[in-house]
Amino acid sequence: MISWPVARAAAREKLRSPAILVVGACFVSAAALGGRAGAPGDTFGGFGVAFLLVLTLALGAGLLSDELDSGHAQLVLLRPLTRAAWLGGRLAGAGVALAAVTAAAWAAAAVASLGSGHALPLSALALLPLAVLWAFAWLSVLTALGAILPGWTNAGALVVAAIAWATLRTTLPALLGHPEWAAAAAELSKYLGPQDPLGLAFDRHALGPALYDACWVFFAWLVAALLFNRRELARRRP
Amino acid sequence: MTGALPALEAAGLRKVYRARGGGQVVAVDGLSFAVRPGEVVGLLGPNGAGKTTAMQLALALLEPDAGEVRLFGRDPELLEVRRRVGYAPDAPLFPRRLTGLQILALHGELLGFRRVAARDRAERFAEQVGVAEPARRPAGTYSRGQAQRLGLALALLGDPDLVLLDEPTAGLDPAGVAAMRELLVSLRGRGAAVLLNSHLLSEVERVCDRVLFIKEGRLLRTHDVRAGGRRAEVRLANAVQVSARLAEKIPGGALEGDRFRVPVASEDVVPALVRELVASGAEILEVRLGGAELEQLYLQIVEGRA
Repeated sequence: MISWPVARAAAREKLRSPAILVVGACFVSAAALGGRAGAPGDTFGGFGVAFLLVLTLALGAGLLSDELDSGHAQLVLLRPLTRAAWLGGRLAGAGVALAAVTAAAWAAAAVASLGSGHALPLSALALLPLAVLWAFAWLSVLTALGAILPGWTNAGALVVAAIAWATLRTTLPALLGHPEWAAAAAELSKYLGPQDPLGLAFDRHALGPALYDACWVFFAWLVAALLFNRRELARRRP
Repeated sequence: MTGALPALEAAGLRKVYRARGGGQVVAVDGLSFAVRPGEVVGLLGPNGAGKTTAMQLALALLEPDAGEVRLFGRDPELLEVRRRVGYAPDAPLFPRRLTGLQILALHGELLGFRRVAARDRAERFAEQVGVAEPARRPAGTYSRGQAQRLGLALALLGDPDLVLLDEPTAGLDPAGVAAMRELLVSLRGRGAAVLLNSHLLSEVERVCDRVLFIKEGRLLRTHDVRAGGRRAEVRLANAVQVSARLAEKIPGGALEGDRFRVPVASEDVVPALVRELVASGAEILEVRLGGAELEQLYLQIVEGRA
């Protein structure tokens, strides 16, 4: 399911990317500022969550196509390795990079919070794995899209789809003269992508979103593998 | 050798690309060929003849519209078959931020070597193809020739029994071309099968056992390079003065203008021939082995020139 040599190479590659380093630095700074204000729980809220999303998009954009377009994926896939394991390796590698940057942001928030004389509540400890799980589920969706879309259009397609749905669900019910549909659309929104499980840190009974996100990771990988297995791999000459 | 199971066998391959706008391009059309262990086979043809497509079909990187490929008599997609195959594409690109050694070590691990063994192997193969120093830098900084050499190291990393090389000398300096030639000879020496796509006719003639002439995706003709023996062509500064002595000392040769042409069994006998010529008083300006024949054949078969 996962090729660990591929995962290590992908993580190394992503953690050396200037774009990832810049977004990561912003994320860590925002988290540290939140921590100084005494709100380590805000590491993944407000600006923090915005940087987490941007980081996820930056990691997922071209996760597969960068390798395919260069022709290196073709060389790797000529080795005794299944396409699903390669996909799993790329996803896991990007996930490791995501976890590393997110952990740095969380640590910055925690240190800043303690340094400013604030207490670090136990619930803050749960934030890190939950935030990583949520972002990783979105990363899996980006990977599935990347199995069929060229270049960085997987990230573009996801952003456009999210904006389009957000616009439709708020405007369409009113336009169609059925404002009562807005509540149903809002409820439906919860199931159109991974759910934010951070509430779990404060409410131990809300396991649903976390499990739901774990399912998204598995099914997105499965869909990616099915789609990718149908692709021809030959690269056009540069 | 001819009785051995082919390392690569393609039968009736056909591949049609769908162009934008609804058009179709027939890249490979009914192509059949085989490469046996210990044999170096060259693919020759003009640009767009379908040589690269044929290689990609052979590796199952492309799905054929018709026909079948077998590697070592088996499905090319089988993982144990892939372990025995090496491929160096034309103008390879690599992850820009990984070093050559990291890329080689990654492939070593994928081939089943442990991490430490894969790292050692990476260093050895980087040195073997002449990129020991650049391999410590990120691949994004490589020149075309360095990337080509790294691609070659990747192709050879698993000691493959079948090697497919697509324009391996493109971007290489003369020393690199010579090293490539030695490498092909050593691959043949250890019984590997090689399919070589190159436009360097002189190199193809020097190292290949057979040449497949391809045009518009079709196999026009197979030429057995070794069957007719080889020929050394020596340009002389004093051809007229030494003609009688050459006719006496080297009776198999023929003098045409300032060129003395002699059939030779292999390139190994060329140094002895040169010594014999010098001893006969000949002043040598240039020595060529083959090349001209294949060029003529290429022009005749592929370009249709008389």
